[in-house]
Amino acid sequence: MTFVNRLLLMLAVYLLWRGHNEPGGGFIAGIMASIGYVFYAIVFGTDGARKRMIASPFTFIGLGLLTSVTSAFIPLLQGKAPLTGLWTEVVGVALGTPLLFDIGVFMVVFGIITAIVLTIIEVLEWN
Amino acid sequence: MELLQYLPYLLLVLIGGGVAAPVLAKRLKHWVGVVLAFIPLLFFILFVRTNIILPETESFVLNVPWGLIPGGDFSFRVDGLSLIFGLLVSGIGVLVLLYSAGYMKKSEHKGRFFLLLTLFMAAMLGLVLSENLIGLFVFWELTSVISFLLIGFDNHLAKARKAALQAFLLTALGGLSLLFAIILIGNVAGTYTISELLDKGALLTAHKYYPLIFILMVVGVFTKSAQFPLHFWLPGAMNAPTPVSSYLHSATMVNAGVFLLLRVNPFLGDTMLWKSVLPLFGAITMFVGALLSFGEKDMKRILAFTTISALGTMVLLAGIDTDASMKAALVFFVVHGLYKGALFMITGLIDKATGTRDIRKLGHLWKKLGWVSWATVIALLSMAGLPPMLGFIGKELIYAAKMQAPYFPVIIMVLGITSNAIMVGISFYLFYNLFWPKRKLESPCEVNCSYARSSLLSFGPIFLSAFSLALGLGPGRISNYLTNAIYFIRANHMELHLTLWHGFNTVLILSFVTVSLGVLLYIHREKVSARIAVFSTWLNTNYYFPDLFDKGITGYVRFAARNTDRIQHGYHRYYLITFFVVTVSLVTAGLFYMTGADIDVDFSNIKWHIVLLLIVMSFGAIYAVASRSRISAILALGVVGFGIGLIYLFYGAVDLAITQFLVETLVMVIFVLVIYHLPMFAVLSDKRTRLRDGIIAAVVGIFTTLIVLKARFVNLSEPISEFFVANSLDLAHGRNIVNVILVDFRAMDTLGEITVLALAAAGVVALLKSRSSKKKNLKNQ
Repeated sequence: MTFVNRLLLMLAVYLLWRGHNEPGGGFIAGIMASIGYVFYAIVFGTDGARKRMIASPFTFIGLGLLTSVTSAFIPLLQGKAPLTGLWTEVVGVALGTPLLFDIGVFMVVFGIITAIVLTIIEVLEWN
Repeated sequence: MELLQYLPYLLLVLIGGGVAAPVLAKRLKHWVGVVLAFIPLLFFILFVRTNIILPETESFVLNVPWGLIPGGDFSFRVDGLSLIFGLLVSGIGVLVLLYSAGYMKKSEHKGRFFLLLTLFMAAMLGLVLSENLIGLFVFWELTSVISFLLIGFDNHLAKARKAALQAFLLTALGGLSLLFAIILIGNVAGTYTISELLDKGALLTAHKYYPLIFILMVVGVFTKSAQFPLHFWLPGAMNAPTPVSSYLHSATMVNAGVFLLLRVNPFLGDTMLWKSVLPLFGAITMFVGALLSFGEKDMKRILAFTTISALGTMVLLAGIDTDASMKAALVFFVVHGLYKGALFMITGLIDKATGTRDIRKLGHLWKKLGWVSWATVIALLSMAGLPPMLGFIGKELIYAAKMQAPYFPVIIMVLGITSNAIMVGISFYLFYNLFWPKRKLESPCEVNCSYARSSLLSFGPIFLSAFSLALGLGPGRISNYLTNAIYFIRANHMELHLTLWHGFNTVLILSFVTVSLGVLLYIHREKVSARIAVFSTWLNTNYYFPDLFDKGITGYVRFAARNTDRIQHGYHRYYLITFFVVTVSLVTAGLFYMTGADIDVDFSNIKWHIVLLLIVMSFGAIYAVASRSRISAILALGVVGFGIGLIYLFYGAVDLAITQFLVETLVMVIFVLVIYHLPMFAVLSDKRTRLRDGIIAAVVGIFTTLIVLKARFVNLSEPISEFFVANSLDLAHGRNIVNVILVDFRAMDTLGEITVLALAAAGVVALLKSRSSKKKNLKNQ
């Protein structure tokens, strides 16, 4: 992966993580992560970009939806209503189902942007 | 009894086994069926043991906290009724899994088959063990869905797909009706739990909603248990692989309707509606099923119609609603499950061994089938209701019950005797055609011995028939189950004695009459069968229910398509116009109607940097409209977008600003990518259209401004922002309120949004790819 790609991915993860207390969050992180691959596709072509993505865009979309829906149903195991936020403390860091939900949103947004933009580039034979 | 608390875990193991089946099938090939059969075997053993220690008037309820809605959880209930059904479901399940291991040996999709069959078993067990009506409904619908997937298992065959769709549409319609009935019950009685509902019989049956509840529930039961006139999906379901027919469509799923009737009888039964509607439709179904079976030549279809007839009998008995009839219904359920399951399995074995199921072409199979021939004879004896089979005991009980029918007993008796006579005739007919060595065949029937003698395929039928014979000779063993079941169905503790010989009484005479009629039918079978075949053909050409149903569905779909064409015309500009005009006029009208037409404009606190920004954005917008160059127009729109982002920033909405900048940039990039391929200069629409669009745009803009100016001072209730500000940190552990709203307080909306995004991506990619593949096709030509 190129340097720009790696940087944007790290920035995306950082934005995702701090989203709950500072500006950031799943949508923004997803867009940032996808920009690296879009950039790569515009310059070097979509084949390379698709190879550098671990899985196809629609796999990300599917997994993201699955993660979000799972985080919605986890509270059922404790007898609470769906989408209730459950929090635990792990090594001083607060983790919870909203974070899982946000990760799902991140994957979905990443997936759709790469899916749409890479398909446009392929279909228009931009490169 | 403590072992019962492991029931939920055992169910999870069953589900896990099913999910793992495709993976296991790759390693173990068809032996995965044998391996999976151990799990229902555990259920069976657990049920047997429970029955031994469960007292005659007690039930065991296991509360499970998981649920979908408050009051609608997946609690388990173990009493006589669920034990009887549970034993049959798990017992026949073991045998069907073993049988499938042999039947699907050469199939490429065994993994999927075992996955579906095991999951179905789990759903059916959940249904009979459910303590809560909502849980019961969930499992009911699950069985419908899995049945759809199993009927259409050979999905390359068009008729299998069609039959599956038809079965599913009908049972799903029934399911919807049942859901309404359950919700009404919950509203009237205040609970969905069966233990609590058992006491609310008087309340429910006297309530003004009772007829509605009854009718809705009955539609659900009639679709699932193939009662006339909703029975026509069951012969079509014979397109499924034979293990499926043996399990779902004879012994388990179709009996779910009967199970429901028995389950709700304590609190919905004993009324005039119950005792007239159910016996009526049950009797008609019983007769029609038996009658039509005599005209069929495909063994599976014969068995399908006789199953419809048997289900009619069970509904009839449940409708008569006396102690004797409930006893008869339960015994008959066991009897029918045993012989029908065996007969279907034998049909499948014969199908694999000879390649045909047509009884005109089959014959002389006695020696070639070995032990299975004996099993067939025993099963046919049970179907005919002859001693010493359990079927005989069942039939005696049925006659005894029918004599006590409260409404139209004579008609019911006549129909009953005729139907049973036809069953006797069919049994003899099948026996003669399959086995009689002196029968003349046009061409000899080839038998593939590897299938005919396969132990996996033979074990099921032989075991079921032997068990049926054993129960017939020693029926006392099932009395205990029946006593507990009857207690919970009739609230009446009665000691049950089942024996083969009751002495010379009316019932025995009726049995003689039936058998004589049956033999008579058999002797004249060619003539009768031909007449019935003619009747069937007439019925099928004029009133063929499956075709009528199909026509109904296609007509409905065409109607929906016409309407869709009218509304979704495909012109983006008309969508926009409709949207703008309707929204703005409704909102303006509503707002000004509610709060008067005065607008408070406060000019004292103007921020001049925002005004400057707005002026620049307005220039951008005007340029975008006036410019003739496409790329310039897009860039000008970008100015507007970035300006909005700056406004967000000025007002302190950092998240919104970041998102706005990012999305705007992306959209610009995509725009430029696409516009590159369009001509450089825009083509303008004619003057009249531009005038119309200009007026609409101006009006919408003005009214939106008025709305915004007005909305600032309208407070119909307390602003929700205060709740979020106060609770964001405490309840949601987050200081970024916007993000907290998105993923916590309003996570449901976000879930909907990402689903829409996913669908949009799928749509865009599909449209683009289809366009590009069309272009490629043109290029190649």
